[in-house]
Amino acid sequence: MSDIVDHSRRQFLSFAGKAGLTTLVAQAVGINLGVVDIVRAQTGKRGVEPFRFAIISDAHLYSMPDHKFDTQLADAVAQVNAMTPLPDFVLFGGDVAQNGTEDQLVKGKKILSELKMPLKIIPGEHDWYLDMGDAWRGLYGDETWSFNHKGVHFIGLNSILVRDFWTETGMTPLERMTVMEMLESPIPGPWGVHEKQLEWLANDVKDLAPDTPIVVFTHSPLWDYYPRWNFQTSDAPEIREILSKFENVMSYHGHVHQTLFNRIGNMSSVAALSTSWPWPYPPVELAFPETRMNRADPSIATDGMGTQVIDLSGSFEALVQYNPFEDSLTPFMRDGFKV
Amino acid sequence: MTNQKLKIERVLVVSAVAAVLAAGSSWARAPFTDEELAEQKAALVESVALGYDLWHGSRADMTTNGLACGNCHPDTAAANPQTFPKYMTMYGKVIPFREMVNWCIENPQVGTRLDVNGDDMTAMEAYAFYLHRGKEITPGLASEQTTPIVVEYGTGFARTPTGIGVDTKP
Repeated sequence: MSDIVDHSRRQFLSFAGKAGLTTLVAQAVGINLGVVDIVRAQTGKRGVEPFRFAIISDAHLYSMPDHKFDTQLADAVAQVNAMTPLPDFVLFGGDVAQNGTEDQLVKGKKILSELKMPLKIIPGEHDWYLDMGDAWRGLYGDETWSFNHKGVHFIGLNSILVRDFWTETGMTPLERMTVMEMLESPIPGPWGVHEKQLEWLANDVKDLAPDTPIVVFTHSPLWDYYPRWNFQTSDAPEIREILSKFENVMSYHGHVHQTLFNRIGNMSSVAALSTSWPWPYPPVELAFPETRMNRADPSIATDGMGTQVIDLSGSFEALVQYNPFEDSLTPFMRDGFKV
Repeated sequence: MTNQKLKIERVLVVSAVAAVLAAGSSWARAPFTDEELAEQKAALVESVALGYDLWHGSRADMTTNGLACGNCHPDTAAANPQTFPKYMTMYGKVIPFREMVNWCIENPQVGTRLDVNGDDMTAMEAYAFYLHRGKEITPGLASEQTTPIVVEYGTGFARTPTGIGVDTKP
């Protein structure tokens, strides 16, 4: 894996936007073409050397020893380590910790260090708001990053930034963290990547040609799914605008603890399963309801959790496969789907 | 016919007319005064608020691993109180919602079950049912996830967030 952004691909190609148009037309006339049909609209010769990467997400580790979530994260690591072929690297989708304490973040790093391949990681809100990311940064590095791998440009952003609700109200760090721990907390308001990261992103991609394969990785989805639970990123429209020049952008995210797919314009979005607990689907219509997983059975302790692996082809098509710990996938999802 | 008898008949007729009018329009008197209704609503909201706190981990003996009901059931989603009583595989029989609450406390949360007739259990039930008000009551097994209620962005109801779990709380 290279941490150096490759600026050599500066040739300009016009943006066709076929995928976005196809999606809009399909939705406008109420036709469900299915994920595979829709994404097939924009393949091309992009010179990607085929490879796979895996995603592990939302471990939510607690401080007490021998917690079941420790085991579940370790199981996810073992699952990825047993994949054939091995993924080139693993992306972790945020929320290593539940309460943002250093011991939880350290425990997570120790478990994740068992991975046989490199790890790239972005933060979740549970990692962040006790010390505003100090411990996380000390352990995991920058939360905003990009790198090129086998012809694909990978971007990681911190999408869980909120307005300052704690200074004026005189909250302690623990109180701030407590507010942020609740999915349905009414205080913090919507999350986003905020201005600095938008500037960083614009600068990061300004010299990339439109046919550059782009993968953007965040904790929260880059579309308005269910803002009440922060199943959204408030400045996702700005992110999508910055990335609109590219023919094909893949967004992978954590936070929602479920299987999920969506597509807006040139950006497809794929959610990651958690390793801790599944979340119910919120009360909104889905554009691709067939990507929902089965209802989790609470009597099966690890039902509805797992990992995912993505195989990228030479034409920058992705085969997304969820690997649940239990039998969580509907027949539609069992063989994976193409993005 | 005596005057006395006429008086009685007149009273009966007037009463019957009044009764018919009352039945056709509204109650003869409100069953409760506005003040009484306000008191009753306040008592319900107090119970719902207690349920909200418990749902988010305010009572330490409900968990030994830090998990609260709210971890898996934000806004009580997928708790499906309106589908109980129903058959639950972990029991092999039909159980009420209160027993399902205790199952979650004892299993995923590894905590101590609540008194099914206690105020705390009533509060848990009050919170879950309050957030499902308006949903159709459909007892029976939900083979698919039922749709949770829509909670507009904001509080859902007036309550200060308490956080989730007890792991790092003082």
